[in-house]
Amino acid sequence: MFQTIVPLFVDALANAALIFFVAFGLTLVFSVLRILNVAHGSFYSIGAYVSASIGLWIVSAGLNPWLTFPALLVSAALVAALFGPLIERTLVQWTYGRGEAVQILMTFGLFLILEDLQRLVFGVSSYYEDTPVALLGSIEIGGIIYLNYQLLLIALAVVALVAMRVFIGHTRMGRLLAVVVADREISEALGIDTRRMFTIAFTLGIFLAALGGALATPTAGVAPGLGADTMVLAFAVAAIGGLGQVEGAALAAVIVAAARVLAIYLFPALDAVAPYLVMLIVLLVRPYGLFGKPAIRRI
Amino acid sequence: MLTVRNLKVEIAGVEVLRDVGFSLAAGKATVMVGRNGAGKTTTLRAIMGLLPWKAGSVRIDGTELGPLPGHARAGLGIGYAPEDRRLIADFTVEENILVPALVRRMSAAERTRRLDEVYSLLPQLAVMRARPGGGVSGGQGKIVALGRALMLADKVLLLDEPFQGLAPALALEYARTLAHLHSNKRDIAILVTESSPKLLNSIADATLHIERGEIESLASPGDVGGLQHA
Repeated sequence: MFQTIVPLFVDALANAALIFFVAFGLTLVFSVLRILNVAHGSFYSIGAYVSASIGLWIVSAGLNPWLTFPALLVSAALVAALFGPLIERTLVQWTYGRGEAVQILMTFGLFLILEDLQRLVFGVSSYYEDTPVALLGSIEIGGIIYLNYQLLLIALAVVALVAMRVFIGHTRMGRLLAVVVADREISEALGIDTRRMFTIAFTLGIFLAALGGALATPTAGVAPGLGADTMVLAFAVAAIGGLGQVEGAALAAVIVAAARVLAIYLFPALDAVAPYLVMLIVLLVRPYGLFGKPAIRRI
Repeated sequence: MLTVRNLKVEIAGVEVLRDVGFSLAAGKATVMVGRNGAGKTTTLRAIMGLLPWKAGSVRIDGTELGPLPGHARAGLGIGYAPEDRRLIADFTVEENILVPALVRRMSAAERTRRLDEVYSLLPQLAVMRARPGGGVSGGQGKIVALGRALMLADKVLLLDEPFQGLAPALALEYARTLAHLHSNKRDIAILVTESSPKLLNSIADATLHIERGEIESLASPGDVGGLQHA
């Protein structure tokens, strides 16, 4: 049993790390902008397409294959820089203070546009570029072989979580973001340019989604429909953790990974449903998610 | 220092301020008195840029505030303490007071100088500096909000109904604190809104009566006494 469960769990954990990046961005954008961005998953698949394209180009141009590693990061930064400020300034800002229905309709429209845009630019065939996985190789621990790349993914998710804590707690920008999250109106009265903070947070959220997608390509490749699948899973993880709670999203990603392993081991038919069953149970017991707090109503 | 002329504000199509005009001078404390709904909070929120105005003007030392976004107005030296305090619950009291220092990228020396000034004007704050913003009582919270506003108030200090919801003893303490502040910091103009002005008799250099979104009369401090019995 151990020989089966552990590799399954590591595999699920590596997947959870990727979903965590997306849920992290989703929850960050939600806590600063108070917007649930339905199009968030599209940036995961765009990040995946861009990094696969750059990776394939590096290999075909005969450049040093190790360049595919920085290319993963560069792809995510490129996607964030290209789409973040543009979309926030032109589309998302019109939904501020206009109710959830408008936000969901607008971001859903954006999702449809981005899906078609991806088909237009990248076509409908799938991309596969696994140079980073091949370069890192594998390691044998206790008779079980693990892909080093998967272990790297898990480590990167932990690094991202710690980096965010340091950013929020110890940098000027992070502290000001925390003030905006806590109270948008007093932030403005205290001199914080909240519009600029929104643009920064939205761009950072897209960066995290695109980074998840870029990191996913070496193990899973990318094909049409990836954005929608990822969005639904990331939303489940963010909701289980409590919207706006980064640590909650991290724990939720691990729980979802564990649930999938159990499902695969005990009831393989339930594999795909397991995350949503977890969400159902958690939200029935704690409607605000594991780490969420009930919103305090002001008057 | 701060001049408001013919200010007109609508909220959701309803005219909340019809014609508000007054001016504040350095070293003077002005009390704005009016019933709930008369437009006191709206006046301060409009000055801070939290509400747009339909017509009128607000100038601070000749600079028109109308075209400036809210966050740029704070930088002109206006400190604002809202009625409901609005402290950051998971920041300590000192971190709350220092938010403006962070926003304005104050040097360490400037930061210390201003923080020391706040602590000397409001010594209660020094005692509770390490407590979380979410863990102070309503009355203490009002003093923290006052200290935070002082970090920005190079020219004007706007206090929205600071006595609202305070127990009588705490209200008295706040009034004493304000009187101490007024007599020790003469370079700024202070505007305090209040529905019952009796606690502010001792510090009011001028009183404004606001009624249904209009300034009714500019009264001298002596008139406030009459209002108490009304």
